[in-house]
Amino acid sequence: MYRYDEFDAQLVADRTRQFRGQVERRLAGRLSEAEFRPLRLMNGLYLQLHAYMLRVAVPYGTLNSEQFRMLAHLAEKYDRGYGHVTTRQNMQFNWPKLPDVPDMLDDLASVQMHAIQTSGNCIRNVTCDPYAGATAEEVEDPRPMAELIRQWSTLHPEFTFLPRKFKIAVTAAEKDRALIKAHDIGIQIIRNAAGDIGYKIYVGGGLGRTPIIGQVLREFLPKGELLAYLTAALRVYNRYGRRDNKYKARIKILVQETGIETFTEQVEAEYATIDISDISVSDAERERIASYFAAPDFETLENDPKAFTDALQVNNAFSLWANNNVAAHKAAGYAIVNISLKPKELAPGDITAAQMRDVSDMADTYSFGELRSTHQQNLVLPHVKQSDLLALFTELQAAGLAADNINLITDIICCPGMDFCALATARSIPISQAIAERFADPERQRTIGEMQIKISGCINACGHHHVGHIGILGLEKAGVEFYQIKLGGDASEHAEIGKVTGPGFSQEELIDGIENMVDLYLKQREAGERFLDTYRRIGIAPFKEVLYA
Amino acid sequence: MSTLKHKGKGPQSMTANELRDGFSVWLDENLDWTRDFTKALRTEDTDLIDRMHLRAETDEKANLVVGIYFIDIEPETGLPARYREKFRVNGPSYDTADVLEIS
Repeated sequence: MYRYDEFDAQLVADRTRQFRGQVERRLAGRLSEAEFRPLRLMNGLYLQLHAYMLRVAVPYGTLNSEQFRMLAHLAEKYDRGYGHVTTRQNMQFNWPKLPDVPDMLDDLASVQMHAIQTSGNCIRNVTCDPYAGATAEEVEDPRPMAELIRQWSTLHPEFTFLPRKFKIAVTAAEKDRALIKAHDIGIQIIRNAAGDIGYKIYVGGGLGRTPIIGQVLREFLPKGELLAYLTAALRVYNRYGRRDNKYKARIKILVQETGIETFTEQVEAEYATIDISDISVSDAERERIASYFAAPDFETLENDPKAFTDALQVNNAFSLWANNNVAAHKAAGYAIVNISLKPKELAPGDITAAQMRDVSDMADTYSFGELRSTHQQNLVLPHVKQSDLLALFTELQAAGLAADNINLITDIICCPGMDFCALATARSIPISQAIAERFADPERQRTIGEMQIKISGCINACGHHHVGHIGILGLEKAGVEFYQIKLGGDASEHAEIGKVTGPGFSQEELIDGIENMVDLYLKQREAGERFLDTYRRIGIAPFKEVLYA
Repeated sequence: MSTLKHKGKGPQSMTANELRDGFSVWLDENLDWTRDFTKALRTEDTDLIDRMHLRAETDEKANLVVGIYFIDIEPETGLPARYREKFRVNGPSYDTADVLEIS
């Protein structure tokens, strides 16, 4: 885990003190709302449909147990006893009071957390593969690079007032768990033919009202040039990005209107003017940052210890959970554990303060005190001994966190929708609950296999509906909510935008329609096919037929 | 929809959010702010609408509320005309704290 140095600590302390003063002046009337609004947004504080909402940054989705306990404390002391994991790995609180927010930020600062870069037209909190540092699939741990970007971008004077917000995601694995091609800039750590480690840079991806898959800006960027190259790309965007129309202000529109070839030429031309040594980070500094992310002291173990394999044989619930929620770890005898935040009865991504404390204790006992949040609104314990999995599972059961539905039809991504969000046009949580209810049978879920349903309550697409195998967009017309369906979206390394099926549906029609499509898939699928594979093989027409039957 | 500069049709209500707590509020018959929409003043009286406007502006300047605006009211139901405002009146249809009774 990265530990703040004196500069980080001072920066966060200064920012918190400044915001306390700003809140005091706002409450005393010395700042108008017009003056205060950009200040509160720069500290992650929104005024939503029913109340304020505070978005806390979780840089690259990495937390330690002490930080998660602090989030539990915030939920309990200042909010309504729970928090919400977002699709950018952050945590939101839905009911804070304005006078309390400076205290919340002080509490966060005490565990090296803050709400900077969670709003505004700046470089937002960097997101990352939640398996970072734990999976054998990665070229190297991407978090030191993500931390480097965090340090470079935090309150960057040149990039604090961009044409629009700017999102960066990073991964070091071929299998993309960070949705890098749907970000303003996506970075994949790769190894070239010569064996050197560097970066493949994607640009111009994004969801929202104009979904676009990112394109390659640089096939291979040497490691030492990252910040200089990002600076060049951001400068071109800052210079040419549209400021006349906020709906056309993202870099994806600039890249689309400019064309990737011309845009690349512009970035390379800007890059040629930059003295790399002005911005580049020394090997020693990179190593200093990387040292904070050194692998924990793993024991020398064998895979599949007897206690684990015996438990798989005799404990069916454990076996089902382990088969679905546990992933391979790079260290023999260890495992990556996904904790589902998708129980049938609750909103996707919500977790109570008590559960946060339980997970913190479990992280301490079983995972070197470390945990992750995922863009799929779940949690990960990255380093669990296989011999501890049964004990962990038992504790997760007791905490109500043992749902074995990771990547199944009820593991739904869902934005807060109109239940909380001021931008929403329709509710999304009740839709997710209705789907979870309809497909509640765990055996049926397993029969269906991998399925990614993603729901957004408006065209801003926080619920990633464009890249759902089944994507659902909530809209409203003449006072009635209705839901449009997209099919064939893909959030993986083969990223693809789904296709709209046609006219929308009421909630009841929607759930029936989804079931009809699932039934069609089960009839049509060939061996080993997921819903998405069958869709790609037989096309959209048969699905539309049963959807609109 | 309606706006701060009352341009809506039919009965109007004045709404805002509390500055301190952020909750949705409406002006009632006494031109005080209430969190309970059933107590909200709904009127077509232009003099009263002017007074509502003045009161809301005054209270916004006094830092009691933020984001004041008029909303159209359906004469038949007494409810806001726009779906978003109807929804705002009732609060979220789902909240984890309510489901689990933890707050």
